[in-house]
Amino acid sequence: MSVRNSKFVKLAVLACAMVTFSVVGLGSAHAEDVIKIAVPSPFTGAEAGYGDNIKAGVAMKVEEVNKAGGVNGKQIEAVYLDEQCDPKEAATVSTKIANDKDLAVIVGHLCSSAHLAALPTYVRIGVPAISPTATNVSISDKNKDKKGRVWSFRNVYRDDFQGGFLAEYIAKVLGLKKVAVFYENNDYGIGLKTAFVNKAKEIGLDVVGEEAYMKGAQDFTPQLTKLKSMDPQALFIAGYYAEGALIADQAKKMGLNVPKFGAEGLDNVDYIKLAGDAAEDTYMTTPFLAETASDKGKAFIEAFKARYDRDVDYMSANAYDAAGIVIEAISEVGPDRAKIREYLAAMDSPEKAYDGVTGVTYFDAKGDSQKPAFVKMVKGGAFVPAEKQMK
Amino acid sequence: MLEQQLVNGLTLGLIYALIAVGYTMVYGVIELINFAHGEIYMLGAFFCMTFITMFGLPLFPAILLSMVCCLALGILIDIVAYRPLRKAPRLAALITAIGMSIFLQNLAMVIWGSRPTPFPRSAVPAIFSETAFQFSNVNISWMQVFIYVVAISLMIGLYLIISKTRIGTAMRALAQNQVSASLMGINVNRVISFTFALGSSMGAVAGVLVAMFYNSMYPTMGYTAGVKAFAAAVLGGIGSVPGAMFGGIVLGIAETLGAGYISSPYRDGVAYAVMILVILFRPSGILGKAVVDKA
Repeated sequence: MSVRNSKFVKLAVLACAMVTFSVVGLGSAHAEDVIKIAVPSPFTGAEAGYGDNIKAGVAMKVEEVNKAGGVNGKQIEAVYLDEQCDPKEAATVSTKIANDKDLAVIVGHLCSSAHLAALPTYVRIGVPAISPTATNVSISDKNKDKKGRVWSFRNVYRDDFQGGFLAEYIAKVLGLKKVAVFYENNDYGIGLKTAFVNKAKEIGLDVVGEEAYMKGAQDFTPQLTKLKSMDPQALFIAGYYAEGALIADQAKKMGLNVPKFGAEGLDNVDYIKLAGDAAEDTYMTTPFLAETASDKGKAFIEAFKARYDRDVDYMSANAYDAAGIVIEAISEVGPDRAKIREYLAAMDSPEKAYDGVTGVTYFDAKGDSQKPAFVKMVKGGAFVPAEKQMK
Repeated sequence: MLEQQLVNGLTLGLIYALIAVGYTMVYGVIELINFAHGEIYMLGAFFCMTFITMFGLPLFPAILLSMVCCLALGILIDIVAYRPLRKAPRLAALITAIGMSIFLQNLAMVIWGSRPTPFPRSAVPAIFSETAFQFSNVNISWMQVFIYVVAISLMIGLYLIISKTRIGTAMRALAQNQVSASLMGINVNRVISFTFALGSSMGAVAGVLVAMFYNSMYPTMGYTAGVKAFAAAVLGGIGSVPGAMFGGIVLGIAETLGAGYISSPYRDGVAYAVMILVILFRPSGILGKAVVDKA
């Protein structure tokens, strides 16, 4: 018994040691000839599919830069850190990033909840970050340190902007009167819903019901049954495409055939793949519309399709540009966290903007970018620009 | 609205019941909570999808083949992860069960990717998405009818196997006392393998039904379903097969009504609250028997 136990203990110690060494090894190898970018996002767990989108965009940018000779003779390496879109994990990962001085800058986090949890560490220690996708409003007020310097930027618009935008679009452009709201019970869904409902009240759009769901849920029939009895003319889905597609599908099956609306969280070809026919007549705001993209954007769309064999989504496009911005910063000022932050903060006007595949990106005093929203819709099993855009 | 919610709840409940019988049978025989069972359910869906898309099999042969694969996998998991620990403290087997669950989840992510995948629509008969019955404001689709028929007939089949066959008798004997059963000439390992096989094939069908019904599957789907089915098994009385069936249905309906009438963010909370209440007032579960701890 005791012999077996001591063997087991030795084995366990050995395993721990191996893990520790491999992590340390990763951190210190070739520190001189590569520049590292941290990419914290969900790569395992229920949200891994979204992290995959971010990885696709960042990896493409990094490969391009490295193929062209890297930055000042050094290769760029993206270090993918898994936080499962979980605030607890994100807090742990953020400490790891902040303490690893080789990681110059961050592209992430993907989820607003995770970004909010990681933010205090970045601000305290001083690590610049660009989130390509975190749209929650409160990030703007929590990204400054004591000296008032902004450490977290984003090349995506805020929930209050797109929530309000959608309410106006439904009421003014499409002329609908009664809408039911379905939101994901987290920082993203609630932020978006709140902005939508406030705007709706202001412009006299009738919100007949609000229902919440948890991430990863598969069955939405109880909530939909309840909403259907309110007889809405439209369904606003404040959440991501994996659940959004199921909501659309189950709504159709129960005979609730109304147009669906959503924000950029619905924007992915998987939405159409999962929802099938039920995806028809879904409108969504997106910061990136293939049809209105520049030549640069169109070339990117082609290259993405050739590389990954699927249509590009806005997450990948934004991640590609976010990586582009930080790499530009590194090439100008070197891999120094404080200098990169200064460089990003100085990108404050259209003249000093970064010209990427999603258009020009520059940041205001709160680190937010002013991006236009486009409306696209599902028609005939594909995304097309909505006929009526809102100015 | 109430009638519709009951129909929805019954659909969900029957699926929980199919998974729950796998938990409860394994617990009944070797007193192990097989946390990897949720992953068997997930793999059932993915196997079926792969047989349809890669080998072009029609739906029903694909389901049968997926049952066979999961059945073999269930036996394999037992041999690899649990059999070496049969005489070890129960906690050890519980830990390997959790490890196995995480391993299978990540394996599926490596093989099929982490993005949610739709179930191949072309393989599902078109009639399934149509309405089968329509009373005033209740809508039952053929898909739901299919779920009812498959789930109920599988459970009747399971009941017959356990109560009428020799191997079923052996399972019950093992559940009562493993040592005495082996003294009576029962091949303990074979019976345990059979238990895993039976439970896993039920879990596989549940996975396929869910993937067809919701038209979506992803590698982590086994976790929530597994926890819910486990709750259903406890609710009905862990170790009792009719209890697991009943517990699944109660849980499905409680959850749906909770979401429909109380508050939707608390739907899981409602489900677990029901479980906790039952355990508080009837510790052995609704249909469980108060068992004297084995000496």
